[in-house]
Amino acid sequence: MSCDDNHEARTKDRAKRRSLPIAGQTSSPKYWRSVEERDRTSPVPGAANEFAGGTFDVAQYGQEDGNGGNSVSRRGFMQVASLSTAMAAVGACTKPAHKIVPFVRRPEEVTPGNPLHFATAYGLDGYASGLLVESHEGRPTKIEGNPAHPQTLGATTSFEQSLTLSVYDDDRAKQIRSGTRPLAWRTFLAETAARTSQLGQNGGAGLRFLISPTTSPFLGDLRKRILDRFPSAKFVSYSSVADDGATDGTKLAFGKPLIARHKVASANVIVSLDADFLGEGNEQTRLSREFAARREPSRQMNRLYVVEPAMTITGAMADHRLRMPGGDVGAFLASLVSMMASRGIAALAPLASLTHGQRHWDPKWLVAVATDLERNRGNSLVIVGRRQPAAVHALAAALNVALGNLGNTVEYATPLTSDPTAGVAPLGTLVQEIAGGGVDTLVITASNPVYGAPVDFKLAKLLERVPNSIYFGLYEDETAAACKTMIPAAHPLESWGDLRATDGTVSIVQPLIAPLWGGIQEADVLAAFVGEGDVGAHALLKKFWKTQGKAPGDFDGTWERWLADGIVPGTAAPAEAGLTVDGQALAQAVAPALGAARQGMEIAFASDPKMYDGRFANSVWLQELPHPITKLTWDNAAMVSEATAKALNLEDGDVVEISYRDRRIDAPILRVPGHADDVVTLPLGYGRTGGEKVAAGIGFNAGELRFSDAPWFDRGVRLEKTERQIKFSITQDHWTMAPDGRETPPPVVSATIAEVLNPHSKFHTEVEDRRPDPEHPQPVIHKPVDYSGQPYKWAMAVDLNKCTGCSACVVACQSENNITTVGKENVRKGREMQWIRIDRYYTGSFEDPEVVTQPLACVHCETAPCEYVCPVNATVHSDEGLNEMVYNRCIGTRYCSNNCPYKVRRFNFLNYINDYSAARELGMNPDVTVRTRGIMEKCTYCVQRIERKRISTRIEGRMIQDGELLTACQQGCPTGAIVFGSLNDSNSKVSQLHADPRRYDLLYEIGTRPRTVYLARVRNPNPELGQPEKAGGHE
Amino acid sequence: MAAPQLDVRDPLEPVALIEGAAGHTDKTINDSLLAHVWRGAGKGWWACFAVALSLLGMLVISISWTLYKGIGTWGNNIPVGWAFGIINFVWWIGIGHAGTLISAILLLFQQKWRTSINRFAEAMTLFAVICALLFPLIHTGRPWFAAYWLLPYPSTNGIWPQFKSPLTWDVFAVSTYFTISLLFWFLGLVPDLAALRDSSQSKMKRTIYGMLAMGFRGSGRHWAEYKWSYVLLAGLSTPLVLSVHTIVSFDFATSVIPGWHTTIFPPYFVAGAVFSGFAMVMTWMIPARRFLGLKHVVTMKHLENMNKIMLVTGMFVSYGYLMEHFIAWYSGDPYEFAQFFYTRMRGPMKGIYWTMIFCNVIVPQIFWSKRWRTSIPVMWFASILINVGMWCERYNIVITSLHRDFIPSKWENYMPTWVDISLFAGTIGLFSTLFLLFLKFIPAVAVTEVKELRHELAHDPTADPVGETH
Repeated sequence: MSCDDNHEARTKDRAKRRSLPIAGQTSSPKYWRSVEERDRTSPVPGAANEFAGGTFDVAQYGQEDGNGGNSVSRRGFMQVASLSTAMAAVGACTKPAHKIVPFVRRPEEVTPGNPLHFATAYGLDGYASGLLVESHEGRPTKIEGNPAHPQTLGATTSFEQSLTLSVYDDDRAKQIRSGTRPLAWRTFLAETAARTSQLGQNGGAGLRFLISPTTSPFLGDLRKRILDRFPSAKFVSYSSVADDGATDGTKLAFGKPLIARHKVASANVIVSLDADFLGEGNEQTRLSREFAARREPSRQMNRLYVVEPAMTITGAMADHRLRMPGGDVGAFLASLVSMMASRGIAALAPLASLTHGQRHWDPKWLVAVATDLERNRGNSLVIVGRRQPAAVHALAAALNVALGNLGNTVEYATPLTSDPTAGVAPLGTLVQEIAGGGVDTLVITASNPVYGAPVDFKLAKLLERVPNSIYFGLYEDETAAACKTMIPAAHPLESWGDLRATDGTVSIVQPLIAPLWGGIQEADVLAAFVGEGDVGAHALLKKFWKTQGKAPGDFDGTWERWLADGIVPGTAAPAEAGLTVDGQALAQAVAPALGAARQGMEIAFASDPKMYDGRFANSVWLQELPHPITKLTWDNAAMVSEATAKALNLEDGDVVEISYRDRRIDAPILRVPGHADDVVTLPLGYGRTGGEKVAAGIGFNAGELRFSDAPWFDRGVRLEKTERQIKFSITQDHWTMAPDGRETPPPVVSATIAEVLNPHSKFHTEVEDRRPDPEHPQPVIHKPVDYSGQPYKWAMAVDLNKCTGCSACVVACQSENNITTVGKENVRKGREMQWIRIDRYYTGSFEDPEVVTQPLACVHCETAPCEYVCPVNATVHSDEGLNEMVYNRCIGTRYCSNNCPYKVRRFNFLNYINDYSAARELGMNPDVTVRTRGIMEKCTYCVQRIERKRISTRIEGRMIQDGELLTACQQGCPTGAIVFGSLNDSNSKVSQLHADPRRYDLLYEIGTRPRTVYLARVRNPNPELGQPEKAGGHE
Repeated sequence: MAAPQLDVRDPLEPVALIEGAAGHTDKTINDSLLAHVWRGAGKGWWACFAVALSLLGMLVISISWTLYKGIGTWGNNIPVGWAFGIINFVWWIGIGHAGTLISAILLLFQQKWRTSINRFAEAMTLFAVICALLFPLIHTGRPWFAAYWLLPYPSTNGIWPQFKSPLTWDVFAVSTYFTISLLFWFLGLVPDLAALRDSSQSKMKRTIYGMLAMGFRGSGRHWAEYKWSYVLLAGLSTPLVLSVHTIVSFDFATSVIPGWHTTIFPPYFVAGAVFSGFAMVMTWMIPARRFLGLKHVVTMKHLENMNKIMLVTGMFVSYGYLMEHFIAWYSGDPYEFAQFFYTRMRGPMKGIYWTMIFCNVIVPQIFWSKRWRTSIPVMWFASILINVGMWCERYNIVITSLHRDFIPSKWENYMPTWVDISLFAGTIGLFSTLFLLFLKFIPAVAVTEVKELRHELAHDPTADPVGETH
């Protein structure tokens, strides 16, 4: 179907069409995108004229009142009231006041209904993740990674995906207030001006800023200007999940605080010590991509050793995993270092004597790791997680240097955050100052420190001593309650700013929407202290970058390119060169820190893969997202191993009293396979008591047990069983692929690299038996449909070898497809709605299981069992092989779901959208129907994206090329495990994967002919460690 | 007319079809069988009616709540998309089968013993089908569309129901069944309504019964027309006994779910339906014959015959269970094997499975014994157990099969909510309410047929002395 003939005519036609105003242009719009925009030309009274002849006619509905004026009748009042409510909702959607620039410089033409993408950045720990945000008529609806950004490479995390939900969150703080007194921003500025001139008299001695760690050059400049004005003022960075150990450790090793930049791509052997590098941290998206690229089954496949206390997604990907308490990891590393030293690595010689007597791990393991590292000198990598103390980081740095990994798999660079450390130590000094009464004005822009700070700091109580405490936050949270003044923060999607990636690349943060609830931007708050609070963040930011000399010549043009591209070229920061480690000094420095561990059970804190440190607690998407490992939703749990639970006579859901030092909290127990014995892991971020409605009453606050001298782990915790029990809402109750011992084909096929590379192994017969054989087709009743004549034959392939189970795809799908959440009770009943679910199975022993994850959405069977049972033709097959849902035809018999062997259909048991606020509705994807109660729904292969792409390529008179059409899950996936495309294009990636020797069809034996196929999981075990046992299982 | 000396007793099993038939005339039969209609409602009736009405109230509340909030008020989930709603539907439809079988098939086979119980059983069929019909409608997510999108009517959007779906077949099967059952029951009533009209004491009653009797005056021509149309409807109903539950079984058998996907379902469902239908008739008949004074027409012979049928159909059902398990093993399908030998026998719902086995396989075996077959308390208790067992069977088929199917990651347990339970209790209330009203206003035994039987027994020299033809 060629459109070439028409193409030219169409282009002309398009040129003739009057172009519509682009966001930010000042010309008065003839087409309006919101009532407010339309009314900008006519003041509000003029709008009333609109009603005069239409909906609301005062003369018709009103009545003469005694004073000769019109009083409004009840009916008329209701009409106006409902209209104004509607207007309030629509009017909330306003474009940012300043010009923002979309990602791809398209013709200056905004077509209503066609979304634009804008590049921006988001910093979880202050380092940038470059994003692309889809915007429909000025409303951000979907987050993607910016492919041009060195950190995200086009993918995202579930945190980033949730931003389009939180921006519309109705619970956000909406009013500047001092105590209970509402303040106007101008009043605040006036009061601040008065205060600062007073503070300035003694150089700002009583002025303190408690900020989140940030890499923003712009905020750094503002900070410098504030410090210029108030030389005695101080800035302190704080994050409750800061990785101070890393910077302190490099200081021990190299003499100056540095951050490690890992390059997993060139590592043949990775030893991860309590480091969830695929699941958290500033580099996780890029590292996931690099790691997955090296999992291709070949001789080049990397090998991952993980030593950790609780199972993480990195541990789940491990080829060998050793579980041990977090406090013992240092001793393990010391033993490894001394073993390496004894094998003749000269640089480590001074560290040879670090070995400690306690060796409760398998010595074979240590030998195997040491041998593997030695074999791969220069191409190995030791990563240490943020929870580990400085000594462990220092040793790892020394080991990496000694192995010659420096520059190849890891490099060290100056931290880009304005403060090298942001943990307990800097906060401790601030706390002492407050306690000493030396702080007059404290500006807190850090993320909810009252909730996150160690309990022994008693920050909430201390804040009472600060005469003027100002909190700048998104929510009326715990910190807001403890501070005198509250300034509602603008959301990251509502703010101007800049951020740097770990490699130094700068991204300009541009807002997608004007602050919905009148939020203030961080730069404005800080600027208030240099008397520029009313200038505006945009002007300040632009002015700052104008002076940076990055854009010689046409600054405005360059600026727009920066905004459009999402990165500022040439801003990458070089790594430190010529680093050496003084082994002798290091040995002395770390030896005391590696002292014998104390006895007793270990208490360990962990950032949560869903709530992080609590800042995402009000996100229903993340609350309902199943935990990547435990599949727990809407709760956290004290995680222990089976052996520990047995020793204490505990079952899942038993509430225990956890006593540690002088404090006690109650928490429910959850047994987790692969968890270290004698350790209880407490995820942070729950038990929130702030004003966030969603977060209220969810889980327990592990921070209640967190002390400044033991922010991550310590010994000496006691668990006491109580009478109480709670019921968890877990989406996958079963651990193994055959929970009751049945002998059904396992949903996930996994094999070792040796088996995969040997064409005669049992593995190959196993997968061959589970995929179509052209010579022996499966028997069918009907003649199979021939799809080869169609332009496309859509299909998907999921490489289980690349899936880490991180769950970014789940949230991406939820965001793209307007999928509702159902709440804790309904999840417990088994009514969760996420279209894609990530199944997690354990194989092997409970103590040291292997973990496999399997994303499963509708597989679009060619002979779909759901279709023929629907009595009303509400689910039908498309010409290109999509299994389609016709929502408005569905009557909800649920037979299709019963007959779906994959159980991937989701039913709206209740009218969940009743709970949506007017604001949340703005965040819906207008391309996808919002489903009401009583309707079945499921994965559509993002049919709206297919159709949109079909339209645009037809206009261009060509076919959709492989790779230019991505489903939401595929686009969000950091590892590229999900591939979508057309099987009629034999060169497409998906066609190649369908022909891969690892391909198998889930439930092949039923004959459903799924279009989504799986590629078997492959492990690369060290032959010296033998095969981990595979048999057996637990329920 | 001098009544001849009748020996209506089986020399081997001396139980009569009409107790004391010799002493009866048409008038006495008329009087005794219409008495419970003309008698005012007693305390017992009102007490039962109050209980039934309050259960019916629960039904109204739970249906309203379901329509207001959605199916989420039930315990259903994914994977258990069908639960109490469909169990109850199948259970009630099954119960309805006894009436049709007794009325139609036994009529065609000229089983004389059917005459005393057919009216009773037909009414139960009708009420059971009404209860059953509620569920397919309210169990859908959007009943306001289901009500007419399931019907094939020509509409401007040109979309028809999907004729491949067994749910569409269900709509036809069940609605046909209801229509025919209603007509058959009403037609059988006409002579009795006329008798009621003739014996009414008040004008209003005479008018109402008169209208319902449709002008039946007992002329020879009326009787002739009545007879052949009754047999015709019986002929129409007969295939329905087989077809309705066959099609209901297709709701399961055409799917791919282990435990549903099986070819034995049609006969096994029909046998189960008759089994449960007879059990339900027994459960109601035993108290009714006592309290309505029908012992002389519903004799031990009737009860015993019904117990024999329950024994036979119980064996059919047991054979069905056996075959399901055998095929699950013999086919070598690992999923089916797991369904029967792991999920059902040993899974979280094993209690339901073993209850089913006890009630449906073990309990009917007591009817091998003549003594227990003729013991009123034993048979009454057994009939209740069989009702319970047949409900458990549907639980096993619907919920147990669904809750653990192919992929263990999406296995979920099922817990009914108060709405589920009140819906079930509520349909029992609806059934009881209708039944009590039936007993109050319509003769519970087909008077005409009993009189006819008496005449046949008295005059037909070829008649079997026992009143049974073999």
